[in-house]
Amino acid sequence: MKLAYYPGCVAQESGKELDMATRWVCRHLGIELVDFPKFSCCGSGFIDEANSVLNVALNARNLALAEGAGLDLMTVCSTCQGMLTLANRRLEEPAVKTKVDSVLAPLGIHYRGTTKVTHMLGILTEKIGADALKSRVVRPLTGLKVGAFYGCHLLRPQAEMRSESAEEPHSFEDLIAAIGATPVLYRGRVMCCGFPVLFVKEPTANRIAARQIDDAKAHGADAMATPCPLCHISLDSFQNKAAHEAGHALDMPVFHLPQLVGLALGASAEELGLPRHMVSTDAALAKVAQVAVPT
Amino acid sequence: MAAASMPAKFEVYRFDPSKDQVPRYDTFTLDLPPHTPVLTALLKIRTENDPSLTLRYSCRSAICGSCAMLINSKSRLACQTQIGPEIAAHGKIVIEPMRSQPVVRDLVVDQKPFWDRYRRIEPHLKLDAREPMPVGKENPMTPEQVERFKETPRCIACGACYSACPAVEADPAFPGPMALAKLYRFVVDPRDKAQKDRLVRIQPDGLWLCLRCHLCTEACPKDVRPSERIRDLKEMAIAAGGLSENGSRHAHAFKENIGEAGVLNEMKLVRQTYGPMDLLKSVPQGIKLARKKPEILKRPHPIEGIDEVKAIYKALDPEAEGK
Repeated sequence: MKLAYYPGCVAQESGKELDMATRWVCRHLGIELVDFPKFSCCGSGFIDEANSVLNVALNARNLALAEGAGLDLMTVCSTCQGMLTLANRRLEEPAVKTKVDSVLAPLGIHYRGTTKVTHMLGILTEKIGADALKSRVVRPLTGLKVGAFYGCHLLRPQAEMRSESAEEPHSFEDLIAAIGATPVLYRGRVMCCGFPVLFVKEPTANRIAARQIDDAKAHGADAMATPCPLCHISLDSFQNKAAHEAGHALDMPVFHLPQLVGLALGASAEELGLPRHMVSTDAALAKVAQVAVPT
Repeated sequence: MAAASMPAKFEVYRFDPSKDQVPRYDTFTLDLPPHTPVLTALLKIRTENDPSLTLRYSCRSAICGSCAMLINSKSRLACQTQIGPEIAAHGKIVIEPMRSQPVVRDLVVDQKPFWDRYRRIEPHLKLDAREPMPVGKENPMTPEQVERFKETPRCIACGACYSACPAVEADPAFPGPMALAKLYRFVVDPRDKAQKDRLVRIQPDGLWLCLRCHLCTEACPKDVRPSERIRDLKEMAIAAGGLSENGSRHAHAFKENIGEAGVLNEMKLVRQTYGPMDLLKSVPQGIKLARKKPEILKRPHPIEGIDEVKAIYKALDPEAEGK
């Protein structure tokens, strides 16, 4: 399988560990990732708020790059997934399409609207499949209870994302089960992480993050895992602030999706960038450490 | 022919604050056809099992907006939700009162917080005294003007969006999806003459607290799509109200930031968003993060083809024209 790889900004910067884990897992599963140094930022929902047509045009350019290479595109961020998909949907409106085309045509860019955008979660569960993934597991994460945290833009608005159920999804839990861990169901798994208001009103963002972490914990989660690096910023990078806002310790390790998969496929903590987390993942790793990885 | 009945297990939240220390859940199992509305089942429980079950309802046709409640954790109208799919997905139906509003009894909540926040947007037409409404005549609108309202006139104020909203839950200042969808309705009304004032005044502790999680849009029984109209309001607010808030500055700065290198400069974005006080307060956390993630201190290289990005900005962003 060969895919255009859209890492997004955070995985190339403060969330570098997500990029490390993604490349490790894809190499291991025989997924060839093609880099496009010309990709620009997806706009992260913020450019959409400031200038929606500009947001569509920037993403049409990204989508055209993959289309030109004849490749479908893989994202590793719920927000990138949401924004690129939203651009595909808005371009179905003739007025938007005409406007965007008129801006891109002088640059020699002609997007025909054929680029399929899939998050790595979908690649693993639909293209690789739970059974095939299971057969590659060398370190089943047996005994580790994991709360999946989806990230809003992967799922909603459902009419635009054409996602699985926007309020009661199951693909991430299926993936967690396939690698031997135990998925934990809790309301917070489809809620917001607070990130969009982290720079608007930080205590509010911290309270929202704390609420979801507390919810996962109350349902027995040893760790959380997310397909979105922005959720990771809110849940891991700012977990100390969330704990302060909540008034109690949270101590919740939060994995990026490919880190959890990589662990089960035999990657080391260093290869997955786990030491870069703000909240130590050691307690979660200790739970699965008894299974020796064949070298 | 009537559809075959199925056993349907209900767990219903019960609480009388004047008597009970804590809420409890009562279990009822009924045989019902799968297309039965949850409201019909609850009324059957009240008639046949427990006349003290307290709930609010009226039209039974998704028009009055009275019977919003939590059905297996989702904010929904009980009259519009059939039991079959819920039993298929969950094996039972858990019924609870809406969130973010105090329980009066069982499934009835005190909607005062919801209506108080609605009042904040001043939900009435504000006219210009120099252009009075025509007396004894219609005030016609063009089809294009009507189109701008989008789905917002459909709102029945049931409160399902308010109950589903994590920003409402976390911050009493946030007006909530319904109030903001209604605000949109007044902002695009050609008869209303206070658009700019409305867009400026809703920004502090208001508009920018929306998380764009779209849970309101999924919960709305009338497909009003509040989160999408809030997005529209944000774009209009930046145009109308300048950049006085962290929220508007952040969205605007993000746009500017990407226009420079094509990828995000994380540190610069923080500087562009925050005023001096907030910037100072963010320093200790920044130092902690930089120890583990030194990349945040680096200025990213511009992407290949940044000239294309700049050309797109030049064509579509009025602010970029002179650059």
